[in-house]
Amino acid sequence: MTTARGLSVPAAPGRAITGLALRQLRRTGLIVLGLTAAMPALVATTYDSVMADPAAADGIARLAGNPAIRTLFGEPVALDRAGGFTVWRVGTFVAVLLAAWAILATTRITRGEEDAGRWDVLLASRVPLPEVAARHLAAVMIVPVAAGGAVAAVLLLAGTEPAGAVVHGAGIGLLGLFFVAVAGLAAQVFPVRASATGAAVAVLGGGLLARMIGDGLTELGWLRWLSPFGLLALTEPYARNDVLPLLVLLAVAVVLGGAAIVAAGHRDVRGGLVAAAAGRRSRLVLLGSVEAFAVRRVLRPLTGWALGVGAYYLLIGFTTLSVTDFLTDNPAFAAEAARAGFTALGAVEGFTATLFALLALPVGGFTAVRMSAFVAAETGRQLTLSAAQPVSRFRLLAAEVAAATGGAVVLVTVAGLAVWAGIAATGGGLTLLAALAGAWNTLPIVLLSLGAATCATGWTPRAAGVAGSMPATGGFLLLVIADSVGAPAWVRELSPFAHLAPVPLAGVDWSVALAMTGLAVALATAGVAGYRRRDLHG
Amino acid sequence: MNDPALRAVHLTKRYGRVTALDDLSLDVPAGEVFGFLGPNGAGKSTTIRMLLGLARPTSGRAWIFGTDATDVARAHRLLAYVPADVALWPHLTGAEILHLQASTGPGTDLAYRDELVERFALDTAKPARTYSTGNRQKVALVAAFATRAPLLVLDEPTSGLDPLMEREFRTAVRQARDRGQTVFLSSHQLDEVEAVCDRVAILRAGQLVEIASMEQLRGLRRAEVTVSYTGAPPPGLGEVPGVESVEQVGEGRLRFSLVGAPAPALRALAAADVRALAIREPSLEEIFLDYYGTAAGR
Ligand SMILES: Nc1ncnc2c1ncn2[C@@H]1O[C@H](COP(=O)(O)OP(=O)(O)OP(=O)(O)O)[C@@H](O)[C@H]1O
Ligand SMILES: [Mg+2]
Repeated sequence: MTTARGLSVPAAPGRAITGLALRQLRRTGLIVLGLTAAMPALVATTYDSVMADPAAADGIARLAGNPAIRTLFGEPVALDRAGGFTVWRVGTFVAVLLAAWAILATTRITRGEEDAGRWDVLLASRVPLPEVAARHLAAVMIVPVAAGGAVAAVLLLAGTEPAGAVVHGAGIGLLGLFFVAVAGLAAQVFPVRASATGAAVAVLGGGLLARMIGDGLTELGWLRWLSPFGLLALTEPYARNDVLPLLVLLAVAVVLGGAAIVAAGHRDVRGGLVAAAAGRRSRLVLLGSVEAFAVRRVLRPLTGWALGVGAYYLLIGFTTLSVTDFLTDNPAFAAEAARAGFTALGAVEGFTATLFALLALPVGGFTAVRMSAFVAAETGRQLTLSAAQPVSRFRLLAAEVAAATGGAVVLVTVAGLAVWAGIAATGGGLTLLAALAGAWNTLPIVLLSLGAATCATGWTPRAAGVAGSMPATGGFLLLVIADSVGAPAWVRELSPFAHLAPVPLAGVDWSVALAMTGLAVALATAGVAGYRRRDLHG
Repeated sequence: MNDPALRAVHLTKRYGRVTALDDLSLDVPAGEVFGFLGPNGAGKSTTIRMLLGLARPTSGRAWIFGTDATDVARAHRLLAYVPADVALWPHLTGAEILHLQASTGPGTDLAYRDELVERFALDTAKPARTYSTGNRQKVALVAAFATRAPLLVLDEPTSGLDPLMEREFRTAVRQARDRGQTVFLSSHQLDEVEAVCDRVAILRAGQLVEIASMEQLRGLRRAEVTVSYTGAPPPGLGEVPGVESVEQVGEGRLRFSLVGAPAPALRALAAADVRALAIREPSLEEIFLDYYGTAAGR
């Protein structure tokens, strides 16, 4: 490595770049890998013992009968086998988790690093841009490949049928590769990380929506061939074990990955295929105060989130009547659901109530993302100029929290309106107020997420995103896992979802809402106290 | 309002075991252009971040015109800041950033700001992501100089500026002083410091090693005088006050160093038939570097 003159020349600069990429992925990659392996392992290995216990089996029947879970997790296939049950139970969740990680990690270490100017040094070496891009994409792809292998391995070790385990593992891995390729291509096309991430997330959301529509409406079943999640469902692990959808997914991923590398050769460093606007008229609205500026920064991402959430809940609104009619016409299903506590599933109110609860996941996620963006602006030093203005730390943070709260209220309102509009369009009768009440009922959990993220912003800013995901995503995961493995009641009750009243089927449980909101305010107050005291980073 | 523009008392900052700033006490009177020098890692930016309340002192306190520096909502009404490494919101144009700074800042002279935009040749229609390092710095400089804040805190504001812009910067500092604004300038450009500062502090390894007016520093420097003469050398030069280390450098050529007023030495020289006289003043830079010197290795 070192010549006699003391000049250090790396033998393989390309390998150094791969090493650099891997170092940036280590932490989150291992967490995602651990989760994708642990969740199927947990569900598959406890299947027999859980099914042996009548009370727990009852809980599973309750889950299987829960239309919210069905909509989110897809059509149940081969539920009578440990493997089939596991795929249905955690398959979609693992797929979405891996896809989301693949997108965020890819755009972070490619476009994000390039945006921050850290690729200038890299590209001053002898390695051309397409190779740098290819090496980064290859580094990210290690995680989906490992995750797919891990899923197959744990399903095999749990004693499920080998064919199903391999097909499902391969599907998970290929889906991850597909999203690395999509994000990699977006990172070449768009000159800004946020746009690249947004475009790839739109593909994710569109794919999920296409699968749901394809699952729900038989005449539109072909839509699933257009969606990576649909292709995953079409393999029907532990039933048909079809590999054709996997080959399609692989082919598309290869084409997109190749396109990303070709695109990297046709653009400038720090540029994209789509040129950044070189100049534009200045728009001075919402720049008059830190509060106004916080609103201005939230508007664009909020629009994207509102489109996604709105589309999802509009779809739910459209399908509500057919699902509830189906339940009413099939007394067997209705009885099963009733035994599990969903007495009024046949009613529109009951159905929408269970689906509104899920709203806390994306909206809680939105608040966590907003607070991490605030922390990123601090470490990226964009915030320094504002912090040097005559504005207290309290105001700086409060403006951000207020903007995030406003955004969250807009999002849940959009969801409520979308469900109401969808039901009204198909001739159902859910009052606007009932729809809005159901949507707003999730706000305490959203506020808990925001409170946790704010608390972390004050004390451990690097953990803001993770902390903000705990109450909603973490709480939901906890409830699902606790129900799946028959955990004791107190574990289940740690989840805020265990306490949420099914609005509009029932009235709002004000004591729960107030308790959660109070806890959220306490967390946020603690966060402000920490934020006022600590050094700003960057 | 007799408070100093800036006062630090026993200001100390530790990062774990690293002492970034060790017991700094400093007063900068209002109206002064104050240079803040020191090698890399000396603790200049750390000091400035504490003066701005961006970082909390481990111990000690600081005041801006008598207002506690940690009360940023009040203290920052009296100052404007240019950070060492300017990062701007990438999607905002220069004009939008200037507008944001003006509307959240301590009061801005908009006409003067437009003049500064002209003078610094800043294209404010571009989004900040397309700005070069120097252009980002110019945005922050224009925003700061355009304020009527009585104190300007500038952390290496010219590290990315070209010589033409550097000249504009010096003009802007002088105009700020003429308006009565105090300028606290951290810089590695020693000629710039020499050109604009009234007083300087030199920091090394977190400790204040010198604080002196420019005059005092200049007084410290010894001129190097070289005399060419015909005939006999000037008599008794070695005994003249202020003259040291007289040295014969060639046939009919003498060199000596001179501290203080030159009159006695000139009188002594008058006794000889002097053909040529050269006085070389070592730059202030050489004096600064003397202070920096022993810091190497930190
Ligand atoms: N956040 C931090 N954590 C740990 N150490 C720090 C931190 N910030 C600064 N330091 C250390 O404090 C010391 C002083 O740093 P500072 O940035 O104040 O130097 P400086 O005088 O501004 O240097 P330069 O001329 O290079 O800008 C350095 O040793 C630096 O490593
Ligand atoms: Mg510095």
